[in-house]
Amino acid sequence: MALWKEIGNRLSYLFRRSRFDREFEEEMRFHIQARAKELEQSGLAAVDATRKARREFGSTLRSREDTRSAWQMRWIEDLASDLRYAARALRRNPALALAAIGSLALGIGANTTIFSIAKEALFSEPSCRDPQSLVEISTRGNGWVPMTQYRFLEDAHIFDGLAGMNIGMVVNWRNGNRSYRLAGTRVTDSFFPVTGIPVAMGRPIERGELNVAVVTYGFWKKRLAGDPNVLGRTLVLDSKPFTVVGVLPRDHRMLAGFGFTPDLYLTKDPGEVMLYARLPQGMTRQAAYTRLRPICRDLDRVYPDVNRKWSQELQLTAIGGMDRLQQDAGRQTIPILAFFAMLVIVTAIVVLIACANVSSLLLARALTRSRELAIRMSLGGSRNRLVRQLLAESMLLALLGTSAGLLLNLWLTRSLSGFHIPTPLPIELILQPDRMLLAYSAIIAFVVTLATGLLPALKATRAGIGGALKEGGLQTGPAGSWLRSALVIGQLAVSIVLLSTGLLFLRNLIQATSFNAGFDTTNTIVATVQGPSDPPKFFETALARLRDIPGIEAASPAYALPLNPFLAFGRPSGPLRPDAGAREVRIEYNFNAVGPDYFRVMGIPILQGRAFVDADRAGAPETVILNQNLARRLFGNTNPVGRILRFPGNRDSRIVGVARNSKYVTLGEENAMAVYAPFAQQTVRGYAHFFVRTRGAPETMVRRIDETLSALDPVAAVETRSMGELFFGALLPSRVAAMILGAMALFGLMLASIGLYGVLLYSTQQRTREIGIRVALGATPGNVLTMVTGQSLRLVATGMAIGLALAVVAVRPLSMFLVPEVHPTDPLNFVAVACVLALVAGLATVAPTARALRVDPAVALRHE
Amino acid sequence: MEPNSSPELLPGTLYLLILRTLSHGPLHGYAIVKRIKEASREGLQVEDGSLYPALNRMLVKGWLAAEWGVSENNRKARFYRLTPEGRRQLDKEAGEFDRLVRAIQLVMRTA
Repeated sequence: MALWKEIGNRLSYLFRRSRFDREFEEEMRFHIQARAKELEQSGLAAVDATRKARREFGSTLRSREDTRSAWQMRWIEDLASDLRYAARALRRNPALALAAIGSLALGIGANTTIFSIAKEALFSEPSCRDPQSLVEISTRGNGWVPMTQYRFLEDAHIFDGLAGMNIGMVVNWRNGNRSYRLAGTRVTDSFFPVTGIPVAMGRPIERGELNVAVVTYGFWKKRLAGDPNVLGRTLVLDSKPFTVVGVLPRDHRMLAGFGFTPDLYLTKDPGEVMLYARLPQGMTRQAAYTRLRPICRDLDRVYPDVNRKWSQELQLTAIGGMDRLQQDAGRQTIPILAFFAMLVIVTAIVVLIACANVSSLLLARALTRSRELAIRMSLGGSRNRLVRQLLAESMLLALLGTSAGLLLNLWLTRSLSGFHIPTPLPIELILQPDRMLLAYSAIIAFVVTLATGLLPALKATRAGIGGALKEGGLQTGPAGSWLRSALVIGQLAVSIVLLSTGLLFLRNLIQATSFNAGFDTTNTIVATVQGPSDPPKFFETALARLRDIPGIEAASPAYALPLNPFLAFGRPSGPLRPDAGAREVRIEYNFNAVGPDYFRVMGIPILQGRAFVDADRAGAPETVILNQNLARRLFGNTNPVGRILRFPGNRDSRIVGVARNSKYVTLGEENAMAVYAPFAQQTVRGYAHFFVRTRGAPETMVRRIDETLSALDPVAAVETRSMGELFFGALLPSRVAAMILGAMALFGLMLASIGLYGVLLYSTQQRTREIGIRVALGATPGNVLTMVTGQSLRLVATGMAIGLALAVVAVRPLSMFLVPEVHPTDPLNFVAVACVLALVAGLATVAPTARALRVDPAVALRHE
Repeated sequence: MEPNSSPELLPGTLYLLILRTLSHGPLHGYAIVKRIKEASREGLQVEDGSLYPALNRMLVKGWLAAEWGVSENNRKARFYRLTPEGRRQLDKEAGEFDRLVRAIQLVMRTA
């Protein structure tokens, strides 16, 4: 490209300027001598000829300047000198520069860190060969494909291979004399060959291999202590030996995305899978879809499935980046996206508040320099040039602020990277700086430069030459202070929005922490048991042993763990028929099978009837307990105890009690229905949670319970935690949001109050003489007080009015993140926010007011 | 003819003249001035002071390349030659110039 070549030519000039000058000198000499020689030949004397030739050539100096300018890139050289000048200006006032850079850095650091996390969680490309040609095959709304259907598609041989994986599996790892629960992703033997997921050590799983495993880097490091002989090592998983053949690299990103990181991949019948296909070279998703359609029709015929119609609901989804999100939209992604978007916006607002402060400072400085600028303009300096020079200063600040922000980002992301987020799901994010982050920061730096610098630069250079040159031209005039006031009002307004958001999330956290879940988590422990060799016997003995431990008040098994979306309640929705009558009620409810002491352990009162007793055993008449919501829904205000409830399949159960409502799946749910049945009367499953209430602090008992249960059966994986610790994960989103938003809101408020302080102080300084005159003419301290506080009051009131109006609209969509007890538009919030702001604004007014009151007319009038 | 009396160059035509002059082979700066003067039968005089800035601007644009060589009277001189890009530029500008001159002549004759 011609332009690039030209720029390249010009750049190369920068590095050989002195050689250029030398060569030009020589060329001139040659030219003049050649002309002189010619003149000599035409008869002139040698001396005259040289003189004439020189004269003809004209000024060599001018010629050289013109020639040089052909090569120069003026703007680069100008920029360099502007930056030098700006650096000197900043060094003269280091405290100010540091404050500006620091506040920018904090905002930018927070903002880019959230950007990094969101980018990694939502847009990262999974580790595999050629992600473009790998697609996920599913039917709308259902990603899980039974193995029979998977095999049918595989036998059609239409693509370059199919692979299946099941991420949601728990495997028991027997290590020594006890077992641990691991997140094991089960895969088909084609999984690694088809996806081409790279391994760091050893080799991937190959076709036809059974009972082999590939472990993740984290598992190898933490659980296998980085065993150098890990390859070939045997892991006993669900009582069967598996050979480790490979270790994944540290930055392995799973196909499932969202930072999901299992402990290992193993070949074992997955039951149902997420289905991936490798498209042949050059085949588009659309073409693949067309190829697959007819086969899906056959599939529907051969394996009729009530849950899906392949031929109608087939969809092929990209496995990474934007494509997946677009197709995924409507699934669980939207709230996550909205959550990150909110954090990015909030932190961006903080950056803007910081910008407003810097802008205000630069404006003040530019106005005090307006005389200098006016002189330069009157001497012929172009306005463009001056604006650029003033912009250089804000550019330098922006660059330094962004760099410091990036350092903060690196530090934060490094400490967050690989951190196992305390949720039941194995989620870890690998956060690395990359080009996207760099580009994003460059944009921020650019925006910050303009946001901080443009206004002051334009304003300062617009001041007419005449006015500024006059004595007293240092006075800024109403326009400058009007601009700064507008900036402060803007800051105050957005601080109100930030504060409202922060306060909402803080209340949300308090609400969530006070844990109105309807059960009592203090002094309770949950031990999860997975895969004992003889479940019924194990559960019976386990309960007996637990009851024997001194210090334990009560213990009960249960199948579901409240507030845990992944190990959660069954959600049957078949019709219920009260009194086994003809009336059918179709309703979705939470189902849990619990032992007799469950309600005692959980502190859930039985409001009517009784709790379960040991007599509600297998073989005895079936009993159930309803929660209040369901009892009311089915029986109205009549007493349900003693009545019969018919479940689908004509199973009749007698209602023996009504339990108080509590939360079941999420803290945010409202009016949830629930049915409890006796643990002993339900089909035995391979796992259970033991809920234990202790007399003293639960922490000391955790180990004891864990050992007791583990000792019963080395095959069973036991995980024991206090309930408080367990529910930490349920509160994590609220905590994170409250922490970030709270911190950002406070930081924003601080910046805004500094802005207010700065403007008031500055205007007090500007008005020193005026105040002096007023005092000399008999103004009382009360008058001066009114004057300064009046200005503050006007600013704060305007900012507050705008901010509150904005906040009322802005917080509305937040309800999706909040527990129902916290209403985004609760007037109390706004009142509280307004009070906080008024308080802080009041504090910011104190110093400038005191200064105004101290003005001594004698001194002030001599001033200047 | 005195240099001052030579008609001023139309703006932009200096590049064209230099390109054309160099199309027969490399020349040094002084030779370029001389060749233009001769070819125009003294009708065009390129100012020495504006020759070198123009040459350098053309170097920057990549139309010309320069290298040091030895002049006809055995002195070290800087020779300029057309690059392929310069040749393309010459074709383009020559065509445009022809059209312009013809258009001006048309106007002069008919209007």
